[in-house]
Amino acid sequence: MSVPLLAVENIGRRFGGFVALEGVTASFEPNKVTAIIGPNGAGKSTFFNVLSGVLAPSSGSIRFKGSDITGTPQHRFAHLGIARSYQITNIFPELSVHENVRVAAQALRSRYDIWRNRAAMTELDDKADAALAAVGLTSRRGTTAKFLAHGQQRALEIAIALVADPELLLLDEPTAGMGPEETKDMVALLERLAAGRTILLVEHKMKMILGLSDRILVLHHGRLIADGSPQHIQTDPEVRRVYLGQNHGYA
Amino acid sequence: MTVSDSSVAAVMAGRAGHRGWRARLTAWRVPLSVLILCLLPWVLPSQALAVNVLIYGLVAVGYNLLFGYTGLLSFGHAAFFGAGAYVTGIAIGKFGLPWYAAVALGVVAGSALAFVIGLLSIRTRGIYFSMVTLALSQLVYYVALQASSLTGGENGLRGFTVARIDLFGWTVDFLDPLKKYYVLMVFAAAALWLVSRILNSPFGAVIEAIRENETRARACGYDVERSKLIAFTLSGLICALAGTLSALHLAIVPLDILHYQTSGMIVMMTLLGGAGSFFGPFVGALAFLLMEDVVSLWTSHWQIVVGSVFILFVLFLPKGIWGSALAWRASR
Amino acid sequence: MDAELIAMQLFSGVALGAILIMVALGLSIIFGMLGVVNFAHGALFMIGAYAGLWVASLTGSFWWGLLIAPIAIGAFGMLIERFLIRPLYKRSIDDPLLLTFGLGYVLVEAVRIVFGSDGIPFQTPPELAGVADLGIGFFPIYRLFVVAVVAVILVLLWLGLEKTKFGLIVRAGAKDPQIMRVLGVDIAKVWLLVFGLGIGLTALGGVLAAPMRNVNPEMGSLVLAEAFVVTVIGGMGSLVGAVVAGLLVGVAISMTALFAPEMATIVMFALMALVLLVRPHGLFGKPVRG
Repeated sequence: MSVPLLAVENIGRRFGGFVALEGVTASFEPNKVTAIIGPNGAGKSTFFNVLSGVLAPSSGSIRFKGSDITGTPQHRFAHLGIARSYQITNIFPELSVHENVRVAAQALRSRYDIWRNRAAMTELDDKADAALAAVGLTSRRGTTAKFLAHGQQRALEIAIALVADPELLLLDEPTAGMGPEETKDMVALLERLAAGRTILLVEHKMKMILGLSDRILVLHHGRLIADGSPQHIQTDPEVRRVYLGQNHGYA
Repeated sequence: MTVSDSSVAAVMAGRAGHRGWRARLTAWRVPLSVLILCLLPWVLPSQALAVNVLIYGLVAVGYNLLFGYTGLLSFGHAAFFGAGAYVTGIAIGKFGLPWYAAVALGVVAGSALAFVIGLLSIRTRGIYFSMVTLALSQLVYYVALQASSLTGGENGLRGFTVARIDLFGWTVDFLDPLKKYYVLMVFAAAALWLVSRILNSPFGAVIEAIRENETRARACGYDVERSKLIAFTLSGLICALAGTLSALHLAIVPLDILHYQTSGMIVMMTLLGGAGSFFGPFVGALAFLLMEDVVSLWTSHWQIVVGSVFILFVLFLPKGIWGSALAWRASR
Repeated sequence: MDAELIAMQLFSGVALGAILIMVALGLSIIFGMLGVVNFAHGALFMIGAYAGLWVASLTGSFWWGLLIAPIAIGAFGMLIERFLIRPLYKRSIDDPLLLTFGLGYVLVEAVRIVFGSDGIPFQTPPELAGVADLGIGFFPIYRLFVVAVVAVILVLLWLGLEKTKFGLIVRAGAKDPQIMRVLGVDIAKVWLLVFGLGIGLTALGGVLAAPMRNVNPEMGSLVLAEAFVVTVIGGMGSLVGAVVAGLLVGVAISMTALFAPEMATIVMFALMALVLLVRPHGLFGKPVRG
């Protein structure tokens, strides 16, 4: 068996006395879509923050393509090939849509050059336009980001992560705040993106997840309580117990 | 998903570079600014005012690199302005160095100080940054106050008048105010060109990204702390250069140049003109100094007028004079 | 160097520290609750001193000055929050700071206009003049008084924060204003009162300091820097830190003045630089980014 793309072993994270994560172990093969679900407070955000380098784990290790990346500073993650989007839209509000993505693309090529004229770096324009085309934002290229509609901002969120050509894409509730129509569009986008990429996503909308994912991880009170295919998860008694009484549109 | 014709057109239009006054203004910002600076002594009521606008405008330009473009509100930039001035004065007065060596030393000293203060202040959480920069630059003030054998202490540094500038075989009578102005302007123009290059560079995009959304910038792969430090140092460099020019111009360095009141004045000028715009700092320096000159005609308490105007700007016109003008023009 | 001199200098440092604590606490409370770094804090300290002086000269009694000035200036602070700072919360976090800076600038000049630029001496009230023999030495009664007043205020503050509903709101609200709104707490009123409290504390510091220093329009300028130094050393947003660091800085300045007077002010900045180097979040602050 080849080395998994990402492997986490016994990940724990405490905040003072509060245990947000404990003993989470999983490995992720390339080119699959994995969803991470769980009730509120289950530790999904914390887990995501650990996977994207925002937080270092209090215990345990993370290996990416075989190398130990535990404790690597966050800004190195994009260079490793791990990119993320955020649940609460996290874009560059006063920059144009194109500039938003272009500066993300630039991060992997030039960060400290104070001399060269960056307008001459047309390869960045190409990459930015490709990412915008992939998420369907080409027509809004010149718009200032803060003026975009919510759904378009979510798409921009994804474009910013996408332009780094990541091997691993971490998407935190990509459909947050979206109605049914927009959600459908986003799901279609995610299905397209899934080709040739590894995606981990945190989501609440069960119907969407069941259709989209190859695999589902269920967190509860910081522990991994189930890990398997959508069919397996739907019939898991522990998962049913945890979700009983919670109105997530489970059916 | 096919790419429709309208989106192809959008890309092509976007690629062609946005034509229009904004892009043209940006492309020509250095020559235009230099042109205006050339005209200043002829247009303003006094040459003294013109030199001050030149020098303080330059400090504000340096400061703006950090505040307007990177989004870091430092209250300690007087330290770099003052360091440039003091080191230049000391180099000429106490060590007898030629003026150009003194200027170079002043710039190096100010930049080094900026690097150190930046290193200490950037490690604090964002909101405390202003406090820390103020306090650290006040330390520099008190050290200068104490080291009176070197700096002249409370009385300031004196005795280093530069009468002639010898450069590449040319001799300029530095005591002639107009000639002095144009010599200083050459340096200011060079600094403006450097700042423009920085803003046009990949690093220029980095600092704007940091200003817009620091967390996101980090997630994209930028080392935010290191980038801030670089911006801080570059900003200090420009302010230090302005300091050297101030020393050459006045032939004295008053101790107050290091006090946080001076830092505050730099902040006010930058905001009054328009933080985050290229030419705004000069507009702000002009506005501030003009107000001081005009109000001083009827009262010595000009500060209360300037301070009140500043408060009004913070409340109602935060983009400053030039920044608001640009925004208004863009929205038409 | 005899023990008595050292003891007295140490005590002098405690008295100085007590004043610093008042100012730094005010700054920290405002900052912790509103997220605003009040750059007018030094100016308001100075105005507290002038207010105390003015009331005292009107009424003939220092005690009235001590009582009325902090309350009046605290109320003035509430006006500032309500009309000048509140409109700026929804804008960038730097805007309130910039406004308070401009305000400080204006206030200092206003005082110059009204009271003149020269200092005004403030006589120690006769009841508190003189020295007390405490066995190890003779200590100025006024400084003992200052330390006592500050100690009482600290106890009252602690009781207020720990035992009252308002205190609970202040402590909780500092963590999460959203929750406060959801619970129906009028967060605007809380902010108003907290700002007033913070200003009242620094004004009280000013009144207490008046007999110890020359009352002049510039007296707030060093105090602002001192308050920042204390806040950095003590730890951002920590009230305990403000108290500990205030004492530490007061004593450090005082003891340095004994051996090398010209280094006294520099020492406190050097301490701050050391803390920044070794423990950037301060003695009692929360570490930056988990």
